[in-house]
Amino acid sequence: MSNGIRVAALDDIPQGEGIAVDKAVTGTADDIALLRDTDDTVYALDDTCTHETASLAEGWVEDGYVECPLHSSRFCLKSGEVQGLPATKNACPHRVEVRDGEVYLFPGESP
Amino acid sequence: MTERVVIVGGGIAGVSTAASLRAQGFGGEVILVDAGEFPYDRPPLSKDFLTGSKDIKQIALQPAQWYDDQHVRLINRTTVTALRPRDGAVELTGGQLLPADRVVLATGGGAARPPIPGLADPRVHVLRTADDADRLRLSLTPGARVLVVGAGLIGAEVASTAVRLGCEVVLVDPVGVPLAAALGLELAAWLHALHDRHRVTTVRATVESFTNRPEGIEAVVDGVAGVHDAVVLGVGMVPSTELAEAAGLEVDRGILVDERQVTSNPAVLAVGDPARLRGVPRTEHWEAAQQDGARAAATILGTPAPVPTAPWFWTDRHGRHIEAVGHMEAAAHTVIRGSFDDPTFSVFGLQDGLVVAAASVDDPSAVRAARRLIDRRIPVVADRLADPAVNLRGLLRG
Ligand SMILES: Cc1cc2nc3c(=O)[nH]c(=O)nc-3n(C[C@H](O)[C@H](O)[C@H](O)COP(=O)(O)OP(=O)(O)OC[C@H]3O[C@@H](n4cnc5c(N)ncnc54)[C@H](O)[C@@H]3O)c2cc1C
Ligand code: FES
Repeated sequence: MSNGIRVAALDDIPQGEGIAVDKAVTGTADDIALLRDTDDTVYALDDTCTHETASLAEGWVEDGYVECPLHSSRFCLKSGEVQGLPATKNACPHRVEVRDGEVYLFPGESP
Repeated sequence: MTERVVIVGGGIAGVSTAASLRAQGFGGEVILVDAGEFPYDRPPLSKDFLTGSKDIKQIALQPAQWYDDQHVRLINRTTVTALRPRDGAVELTGGQLLPADRVVLATGGGAARPPIPGLADPRVHVLRTADDADRLRLSLTPGARVLVVGAGLIGAEVASTAVRLGCEVVLVDPVGVPLAAALGLELAAWLHALHDRHRVTTVRATVESFTNRPEGIEAVVDGVAGVHDAVVLGVGMVPSTELAEAAGLEVDRGILVDERQVTSNPAVLAVGDPARLRGVPRTEHWEAAQQDGARAAATILGTPAPVPTAPWFWTDRHGRHIEAVGHMEAAAHTVIRGSFDDPTFSVFGLQDGLVVAAASVDDPSAVRAARRLIDRRIPVVADRLADPAVNLRGLLRG
């Protein structure tokens, strides 16, 4: 198993916010959002909201969920499961690890 | 113990009740009875669905497979004709009884039809269902003369969509600045003025009568007659309370519920547009209906209700996206972030150093931030709020 791709320093992601990692870096079909919860755990989901076009990295991260900035659907950070309409499809989660303040991403691996 | 929940009505409130029951781990039967073909979303009816850029499948609230996946039995094209709380059942069209331990009334409402003479003319439209929208769309052809009665949320959206489709639109309302209470006077005035900038003629007046003429439908507006190809009434909605009334539940401008959505009969809950919390006016917004559903599910399961958030709604007109949160009428003063000439701007309503409301044009993020400032009662300095260079997320951190 690989050690993952180093995609950011933890400090690059403000608490309760997210940043997007370009698909050119991750080799995935979509950009990947790194989302830092209010308890400082970092999660990763496909960046494009499953409802329309918003970037989940621009969403609101709190208490285990990210709220889409556009129409407020909420996704579970851990599983990607959608919690409220208008989105009806789950977001795809990816495995992330934080080691020594560095964030490593494992695109395509389930968390 | 609740084994079987029957939800009457498959709008956002009914579907959210079903979804929340499952999300919160309800293991019993969930049956959703809806009069329509399948549950669909209503806000697009005056927007993308009316222009034809989205079809009925694209506005389904859930994909068809979802009902199987979630073990929600959808009984479509069926009307609940009576509640029989004493028999622990509801009655369906044709007299069949459907047993239920708990019934959730999610019956929505119908478009209001004020007592204007001549209203029965087929060229007079309302907009509440996909059928209404399908029928109306046929009249919104380029060059058609369309009179929209009521410049509130739905009337304004229809006027904006119609003008986009090439119609000649007249929008009439006796109120000078519609939505002033919800959005604050300045923003409401700016929004209303947007109509004129997009070739919608606004008239401050009352419609007195309609008459069928060979050349169209004649409307008398403050004594002046004009002929139109179609009329659309956007003058409010009437909550569907008939089932509740017939079953002896307490009804007063809505089905009265407590803060857990329970009606005056403990076996019956009510959610969405027709439900009214005692002592509070009814809300008629999408998200309020969704939250009612989550609360009803928590009540049925005996779990803590989700914490209520400040009320939120959105509307779209003339290509602009407007969102509002909180209670603007409770604000002592407002601050404007940005200017009304900017591509995006927001208005915040303040009271005693706290945000009580906000409304934004093309800046949903400002409203997301405002909602948190309101819900968490975070004190703010008006000047910082007004400065577009100040990051609103930063204000949340205090
Ligand atoms: C054109 C339009 C545009 C809107 N735009 C916005 C917007 O931009 N933003 C916003 O926040 N809100 C908007 N709204 C308001 C929002 O759509 C409503 O608040 C919301 O739909 C209420 O949901 P509901 O589930 O309570 O009722 P409804 O959506 O009315 O659903 C009720 C359902 O119950 C069914 N039903 C009723 N009685 C029975 C019965 N006896 N048996 C079986 N089935 C029954 C009906 O067929 C219907 O499907 C709009 C509404 C309309 C009509
Ligand atoms: S784009 Fe995310 S909820 Fe609509």
